[in-house]
Amino acid sequence: MREFYVYGFRSREEFTQKSARSYDDEHRRIGSWLGDYMEFRQTSEGKNVFLSIDSRLLCHNPLYQAWKAKSFTAGDVTLHFLIFDILHVPENALSLNEITDEIDIRLRDVKNPKTYDSSTVRKKLNEYVKAGLLCTEKQGRALLYSRAPMTELDCADALDFFTETAPCGVIGSFLLDKTGVHDEHFAFKHHYITQALDSDILCMLFDAVREKRMIAVKTINNRKEETETGWIVPLRIFISVQSGRQYLMAYVPEIKKTGSFRLDYILSVRCGNVCEAFDEYRELLDRMQKHLWGVSTQGARGRIEHVEFTVRYGDGEEYIPLRLEREKRCGRVERLDAHTSRFSADVYDAGEMVPWIRTFICRIESICFSDKKLEEQFKQDIESMYRLYGVDGGDAK
Amino acid sequence: MIFSEWNGAYYNAVAGILKAAADHPVTKEEMRRIIDEQAFSESILSIEPSLSGGKWQLLKEDGTAAVRYPPTMPLTLLMKRWLKSISLDPRIRLFDFHVSGLEEIPPLFTKDDIYIFDQYADGDPYEDPLYTENFHRILEAVRNHSPLSLEVMNRRNNRTRMNVMPEYLEYSEKDDKFRLFTSGCRYGSVVNLSRIISCRPFHGDCSGYRQRPPATSGKRVVIELLDERNTLERVMLHFAHFEKEAERIDEKHYRVTIRYSRDDETEMVIRILSFGPFIRVTEPAGFVNLIKKRLRMQKSCELQ
Repeated sequence: MREFYVYGFRSREEFTQKSARSYDDEHRRIGSWLGDYMEFRQTSEGKNVFLSIDSRLLCHNPLYQAWKAKSFTAGDVTLHFLIFDILHVPENALSLNEITDEIDIRLRDVKNPKTYDSSTVRKKLNEYVKAGLLCTEKQGRALLYSRAPMTELDCADALDFFTETAPCGVIGSFLLDKTGVHDEHFAFKHHYITQALDSDILCMLFDAVREKRMIAVKTINNRKEETETGWIVPLRIFISVQSGRQYLMAYVPEIKKTGSFRLDYILSVRCGNVCEAFDEYRELLDRMQKHLWGVSTQGARGRIEHVEFTVRYGDGEEYIPLRLEREKRCGRVERLDAHTSRFSADVYDAGEMVPWIRTFICRIESICFSDKKLEEQFKQDIESMYRLYGVDGGDAK
Repeated sequence: MIFSEWNGAYYNAVAGILKAAADHPVTKEEMRRIIDEQAFSESILSIEPSLSGGKWQLLKEDGTAAVRYPPTMPLTLLMKRWLKSISLDPRIRLFDFHVSGLEEIPPLFTKDDIYIFDQYADGDPYEDPLYTENFHRILEAVRNHSPLSLEVMNRRNNRTRMNVMPEYLEYSEKDDKFRLFTSGCRYGSVVNLSRIISCRPFHGDCSGYRQRPPATSGKRVVIELLDERNTLERVMLHFAHFEKEAERIDEKHYRVTIRYSRDDETEMVIRILSFGPFIRVTEPAGFVNLIKKRLRMQKSCELQ
């Protein structure tokens, strides 16, 4: 799904290098969930299928559909509705045998009724107990099952909003499905929707963080070539609202270092033991955050890099120092005079700041990186841009 | 567990059908209509025959339900934990949030577990009682389609009054701000909520300047990119929220067409500049000139 949505220029032939069947399966599945957003283009390399979605026009993330398509058996769906019908109010507390008998009674009038044995019903009941849908209580030797108390849910606007803005928003989408149709009053700008695809990983990470547990994570590298598994202590989820990426910040005992893991590169999470030093590692991360521009802790053990630049602005361009103030993160802003401000920061990885500094192109008067190689690269890149657009007097490329 | 069948579209559609069947015998047509509303386009192929044919033993032969009550399901623990988490978010005070039974529930996450590192620092004041009061009134007016009279601090810090028909609220996570989209006012159709000083019901006519909210995709820009230093992935993710189209030119070069709102042109220019020499705007000429203008100004800064 991510390939179709984020990239969208790969033809079937390229996918089929791996498996024609998996491409066709994926294509059909996505077409069924997101048919309204699918577009096609014929190129010399073949037919390209892509998802083109302006998320500003949506009230809800369409990629949540991917989490609403779990397969199940005929027994699963039949037992689900029968069990909640038998236990239709929390006061109905019944034993396994009573529930099994009630299932038989309800199935009497259907065509070719099946019989569900106690062990199948017990398995299903235990699944629901684990999910919090059912409660149990002992009465003598019998274990009685009843449904969990119903929750009053009167908050459709809040659900509409947090489903799109809170982590694991897909859970809000499940709740909205249960509240029924209502008018929607919110739209979302700068809204990245691919995080929806990492919801299960994020949920497991939150569980581990809340319980202060170590986890074994299996990750894949960015070229999608190699996987790696290791034990880490998950500390906090870092979210970028300017790229839609989500990262796990974690302490890696093997190398005694705190680092970041992109959520879309995490393939699986397995919980381990409670980490006694969790609070200590989290305090360390709190201290490190004063020098983090983004998520890179490169250089965290060595020296901190200093970056500073000055920008000029004219009368009526007061929004420029205001921009610096609101976008400065861990940096500092000083007004040098009525038309000049200086930004400075001390960070682990100055390279992370370069894209942001470039947004001030047209008014950067001076710039200084303690990493002189990076400073040279920054200046060379600007020279390359002059050439690219023919601004140095030559022809544009 | 997020990926479970009881959260799925199929179960929701079956619940809808059983709700109808608990009341009266359902026909195949009624089933198809419910499936169409609640599940996926290809779900009709499996749900209706499975119920009608008795594979899923939930309907009697006459089309009535094997269950006795309209289906309901309690909330899962995971749902309650997520609700508990959002109940702790400062923005929750903007809403009427009535959810019972969360007192003993542990949250799925708290503010200490997440950190948004690139959100702008001048977000809306969710703790300010005046702001929350205005928000409630505005949301109520949006719900009821009732006109409002707003007193607003404009960009020049002058107070101005405008009578508007509120249409919807737009939130930007990057700006951490709400904007109200309106119609019926000659002075503009978008108002930052943090600039609203007061609002009250308006009993006059707001239909004189009725206009549609601005088109979000009125303009387009074509860029070519060189896939070095992971630029392809960074560009495609960065611009992922726009309607866009990408094609490969050769092994290292790609062309991407992005559609954006005319109101966001300046933002688009600086977002493209942030990629430096790895992307080049090729169309339209007007956009290319905006980039060139900034580069010329930069050149005049004589950065050493």
